[in-house]
Amino acid sequence: MQKQLAITSCPHIRSRKTTQRIMQDVCIALAPAGIAGIVFFGARAAAIIAVSVITCVLTELVYEKMMGQRVTIGDWSAVVTGLLLAYNIPATAPLWIPMVGGVIAILLVKMLFGGIGSNFMNPALTARAVLFVSWGGIMGSYPVTRFMEQTADGLSGATPLAELARVFAGQATLAEGTGLWDLFIGNCPGVLGETCKLAILLGGVWLILRDVADWKIPVSMIGTVFVLYLLTSGFNFGLSLREVLSGGLLLGAFFMATDYATSPQSNLGRVIFGVGCGLIVFVIRAYANYPEGCSFAILFMNVVTPLIDRYTMPKCFGEVKQHG
Amino acid sequence: MNIWLVIIIGQILVNNYVMCQFFGICPFLGVSKKVDTALGMGLAVTFVITLASFITWMVQYFILVPLNLQYLQTIAFILVIAVLVQVVENALKKLSPSLYQALGVYLPLITTNCVVLAVAVNNITDGYNLLEATMSGCFSALGFTLALLLLAGIRERLELSNMPKWMQGFPGALITAGLMAVAFMGFGGLI
Amino acid sequence: MAEPQKKSFLPVFLNGLITENPTFTLMLGMCPTLGVTTAAMNGVAMGLATTFVLVFSNLIISLLRNIIPDKVRIPAYIVVIASFVTMIDLFMQAFLPELRAVLGTYIQLIVVNCIIFARAESFAAKNPPLASLADGLGMGLGFTCSITLLAAVREIFGSGTCFGLQVMPAGYQPMAIMNMVPGGFITLGVLMILVNVIKRVAARRSEERKEEKLA
Repeated sequence: MQKQLAITSCPHIRSRKTTQRIMQDVCIALAPAGIAGIVFFGARAAAIIAVSVITCVLTELVYEKMMGQRVTIGDWSAVVTGLLLAYNIPATAPLWIPMVGGVIAILLVKMLFGGIGSNFMNPALTARAVLFVSWGGIMGSYPVTRFMEQTADGLSGATPLAELARVFAGQATLAEGTGLWDLFIGNCPGVLGETCKLAILLGGVWLILRDVADWKIPVSMIGTVFVLYLLTSGFNFGLSLREVLSGGLLLGAFFMATDYATSPQSNLGRVIFGVGCGLIVFVIRAYANYPEGCSFAILFMNVVTPLIDRYTMPKCFGEVKQHG
Repeated sequence: MNIWLVIIIGQILVNNYVMCQFFGICPFLGVSKKVDTALGMGLAVTFVITLASFITWMVQYFILVPLNLQYLQTIAFILVIAVLVQVVENALKKLSPSLYQALGVYLPLITTNCVVLAVAVNNITDGYNLLEATMSGCFSALGFTLALLLLAGIRERLELSNMPKWMQGFPGALITAGLMAVAFMGFGGLI
Repeated sequence: MAEPQKKSFLPVFLNGLITENPTFTLMLGMCPTLGVTTAAMNGVAMGLATTFVLVFSNLIISLLRNIIPDKVRIPAYIVVIASFVTMIDLFMQAFLPELRAVLGTYIQLIVVNCIIFARAESFAAKNPPLASLADGLGMGLGFTCSITLLAAVREIFGSGTCFGLQVMPAGYQPMAIMNMVPGGFITLGVLMILVNVIKRVAARRSEERKEEKLA
C-alpha cells in the first residue's frame, strides 16, 4: 500500500496481465463446471455457489474496511475462492456450511497473512479440509444426480471412488461400477463442481491457452496418479483411467494445484510439486482413512512449496553461495 | 503391516510428534525463524533422541524393572537425558569442533524439549524391543525435523509478506502451525 | 530481569498471574497448553498439577540456592522438579485415575515444562523462599487461568459444552476440528491476538489518563 514506487531490477516487462484479468479468466474457466453442477444437482447447487461467493467477497470487504486498508475485492480473487469452495461442497449441505467455509478461507487463511499472494495454503482447499474434518457426516455424504436412479434420502450409497477402491482391493469388478461415460460427463455422485470432467477439462484447456495456468503441474499430477495405479493394479488400464476421472483429481489439478501463491515458481519445482501431489493422492486413496486425498495432497505440497522453491530457484548470475 | 513401515511412516507422517500430537512445541515455535537454524536444531535433536531412546530403554529393562523401581521412571529418564546432552556436548567439542560449531548452541535447549522424554516414555508404553525403540526414536526425531523445516520455510516466506503487525511473531506462527496441521490430517489412518 | 532485592508477596504474585502471564506473554509451556485443553476440566486439572510442582520446586530450590554449586545446578533442579512430578503423578494414579488417563503422558512431561525450569533458573535461584513461593503461585495460577480459558473456548466450539454443561443451542453441530491439533494451534493464536489487542488498548488508555493528570 505504501509501495507507490516499483523498485525492482530490470528487465521490466510490460504486460496486460493484471490480477484482475487473471482472476476473471479463472472465473470464466470455472463457469462450465458450475453450470454442470446446477444441471446435475438442481437449484440447491446454485444456492450454495451464491452463498459461498457472497460470503467470501463480504468477508474480504468487511475485514479491509475494519482495518482501514484499501479494498481489494475488485481483483476478483475472492470470487474465485468462493467458487472453488462451493465446488467442493456436496449439494445437499446446509447453507451455513459455505458461510463458515467462506469466512475460514478468506479471513483465517488469506487476510490474516496479508491478503492476496501472501497465503501459503490454498484458501478454498484449506476451508474444505477444515469443514470435512469438522462435519464429516455432512461433507462426506454425496447426493445422487437428477438423472440417476433416485434413492429414498437422495444420498448415494457408494461414490465412484469407493467402488474403485473395492476393485483395487480385488473385491469387485469394474463392470459393477459407474460407466466411463457417466464419469466423464458427470452423472455420478460427488461434490457439486467436481463431477463433470468434460466441463473441468474445457476450463482447464482455457486456462492453459490463456497462459493463466502452467500445464506442468496438472499434467505431472494426473500422470503420476495414472502411472501409479497402472503399476500397482497389474496394468489394469480401465481402473487407472477411472481413478483419474473420479473424485476431485481433475478439479484439484487444474484449478487448485496451479494457484500462483501456493505452488513453486521454477519449472523443476512445479514438476516436483505435481509428482508429489499425485503420489500423495495415490497413497491416501489406496491406504488412508479418507476416500479422497486430493485436497490433503495439494495442501501438504502447499506446505512443502517454500522449501521446494528454496532448493530449485535458479540462482541469479554472480550470486555468492550463502548457505554452506 | 510390516512393523518397520509402521514405525517409519507412522512416526514421520501419521503420528508426527509435533503436527499430530503436540509435543516439542516450544522449540518448534522458537527455532523456526530460519531454515538453516531449523536444520541444525533438527539434526541435533535427531542425534540426541536416537541415543536417548537406546539408553533409556536399557535403563528401564536392565535397572528399573529388575529393581522394581518403575515409579522412578520420570526421574531416571530425565536425568539420563540431561546427562546425555551434557556428554554429547563435551564429546562434540573434543571430537568434532566443526560439528560442535554447527550444533553446539542447540544442545542445551534439548534437555527441555519434551519430544525426547515423550519418545522415551512411549517406547516403553508401546512395548518396543531395543532395536524398535531406537528406530522409533530416530524416525520420530526426523518427523520433528521435517515439521520444523516446513514451518521455517513458510516463516521465511511470510517475512516478505505484509502481515498485520498483531499477527507477526507468535500468533502468526501458531496459526501457521495450525494450518499445517490441517494438511497433515490427510495421512490419518495410513497405517 | 529479577533483581536479588527484597520482594513483597503481592506484586510478585500478580506479576506472574497477569503482567508476565506464562502463556500469553512469556510463551512458555506450550505442549501441555495445547495438548490437554480439549475440555475446560482438563485445563483446570493440568493447571493445578503444574502449580503444585511449580510452588514446591520454587520453594525448595530457593531454600537450597546457596548450597547448590553453580556447575551442577541443572541436574539438581531436575531432581527436585522430577521428584514433585513423580509425587503428583502417583497421587493422581491413586486418587484420580480417570483424569490421569485423560492427561496421560503430559503429567510426566510437567518435568520438562519450560515454565518450571525458567522460573527455577531466573527467579527461585536468586530470590528468598517467600518471594519464590509467591512467584510459583502466581505463575502457576496464571498458567491455570490461561489454559482453562483456552480449554473452555475449545470445549464450547468443539463439543458445545463448557465444564460439561450444554451451552450451545440444541441445533449446534459441534466443530470437531477444535478438539484436534489444528484447533488447538489456531484457537491459541486467535486468543493471543485478542490479548495483544486488549493490552495495547489498555496501555493507550493509561497513557491518556497520565496525560490528563499532567494537564
